[in-house]
Amino acid sequence: MIKKSLLATLVVSALFTGATANDDMKKWLRPTEVPQPTNNKLTPARIELGKLLYFDKRLSKNDTVSCATCHSPARGWTDEVPTSKAVGFEGRVGPRNSPVVLNSAYQRHQFWDGRAKSLEQQALGPIEADVEMNMPLKELVPKLQKIKGYKPLFDKAYPGEGINKETIAKAIASFERTVVSTESPFDKYAKGDKKAISKDAKEGFSLFKGKAHCVDCHDGFNFTDGSFQNIGLHDGNLTGKELGRYNVKKRAAWYGVFKTPTLRDVTKSYPYFHDGSVKTLKEATVICSHGGRFEHNVKNKSDVMVDRHLSEAEVDKIVEFMKSLTGPDLDIKVPTKFPQ
Amino acid sequence: MKKIAIAALLASVTLFGADHVIDQKGKTFIPHEITVKVGDTLTFVNSDPFAHNAYTDDEANEFDIGMQAPGTKKTVPVKAAGKFDVECAIHPNMLLEVTAN
Ligand code: HEC
Ligand code: HEC
Ligand SMILES: [Cu+2]
Repeated sequence: MIKKSLLATLVVSALFTGATANDDMKKWLRPTEVPQPTNNKLTPARIELGKLLYFDKRLSKNDTVSCATCHSPARGWTDEVPTSKAVGFEGRVGPRNSPVVLNSAYQRHQFWDGRAKSLEQQALGPIEADVEMNMPLKELVPKLQKIKGYKPLFDKAYPGEGINKETIAKAIASFERTVVSTESPFDKYAKGDKKAISKDAKEGFSLFKGKAHCVDCHDGFNFTDGSFQNIGLHDGNLTGKELGRYNVKKRAAWYGVFKTPTLRDVTKSYPYFHDGSVKTLKEATVICSHGGRFEHNVKNKSDVMVDRHLSEAEVDKIVEFMKSLTGPDLDIKVPTKFPQ
Repeated sequence: MKKIAIAALLASVTLFGADHVIDQKGKTFIPHEITVKVGDTLTFVNSDPFAHNAYTDDEANEFDIGMQAPGTKKTVPVKAAGKFDVECAIHPNMLLEVTAN
């Protein structure tokens, strides 16, 4: 049974890629389909509507902020400032670094602290947040209903459902499900093109899986296993947002933990970590391979966050490897005309 | 597979209910579905080289075994009938579906 379906996927991926990857490389290949909830399967009409909503600044209180303000395709689907500074509603500063929207379709939990379980649930959060778009849904729904041009688009995407917070969320989530990684040099390598990445990057990949133990958390094709980890970015008693998922529920295992982020297109998503406190991949690698920023006095630090005794040359090779995870920009045409 | 499970069940049946061993291995629960009786126990064994956890928010069966170091095990009772999910707080993709009769 298992063997058969394995074979089937192999055949399918061979059809798609024109090459067969060997067995232990297979888990690193991008899947051919994104997961979709049964009540919101992808259709062109839904994706197109979601894209308009994603880029439409009228979804904010004073028509100045859209989702793309903080998760911009031109800036690696994030905002490249440490904590969404000077970009939110009237320049208000949110407490967290904007994570990439890229590949969020594959995650079981959204946000750094995992408080939203689906993209549908997630999409409504920023619209209402006062530091983000500051637009109560009670006002947004009638505002969109008044824009005549949106009605036929909603009718086509969600026949008979109307314009309401559910259909707004479903459309935005549909668009987000198309924001997935493109083929990186590493993908070509994983499929058998031995020359697609440098010798240093190959050695970096071996270190990543072996001596450096990165794969204990950055596992699978999306280079995250979805785990919540405390990697020792802060020491002593934590307060406020530093508590991470502990703020969702006071479970001992959640003290100071954050979601392990994807490393795909990671060269485009600086600055790094939930607080945007790290500027370079090298510094991030040093922190992650030396037992965290703080080695001691960290409550609930992950037991795999220990010093792996890497040389500087080894750190550089891992960085070379991570650079090979960046693919060309997605070919998404940013809408310039919006429904009136 | 089934046979082994039944054998294990029979072997561990005591006056107080059976103990069911759940392996935490390769960031999965093995098995990932189990049918038990109220009064039985679940024993989680961590076979991975890093920490795991197991908890449920099911009201009647609520438990949280905390940080579970490699090589250790912890046992919890099944207190009430129903279907509930057990998750690892560290690796939320680890899911165990329990049906308690
Ligand atoms: C003012 C900046 C800002 C705006 C506007 C904004 N976001 Fe975000 N977004 C953030 C920040 C900051 C986070 C991380 C928050 C956290 O983890 O607590 C985030 C998190 C997310 C995530 C979770 C990603 C992950 O990996 O967990 C998604 C998806 C997302 N936003 C989509 C959207 C959508 C859709 C919109 C428009 C409806 C939007 N955002 C508007 C700043 C913004
Ligand atoms: C214990 C699990 C774990 C291990 C092991 C681990 N990481 Fe991470 N990594 C994380 C988590 C969790 C974060 C986000 C932490 C935060 O922001 O609080 C992260 C963040 C990062 C980031 C920043 C990405 C971004 O978009 O902000 C990079 C780069 C990174 N890790 C690389 C590595 C490398 C290279 C290794 C191996 C040397 C490694 N990690 C080992 C869990 C881990
Ligand atoms: Cu686990």
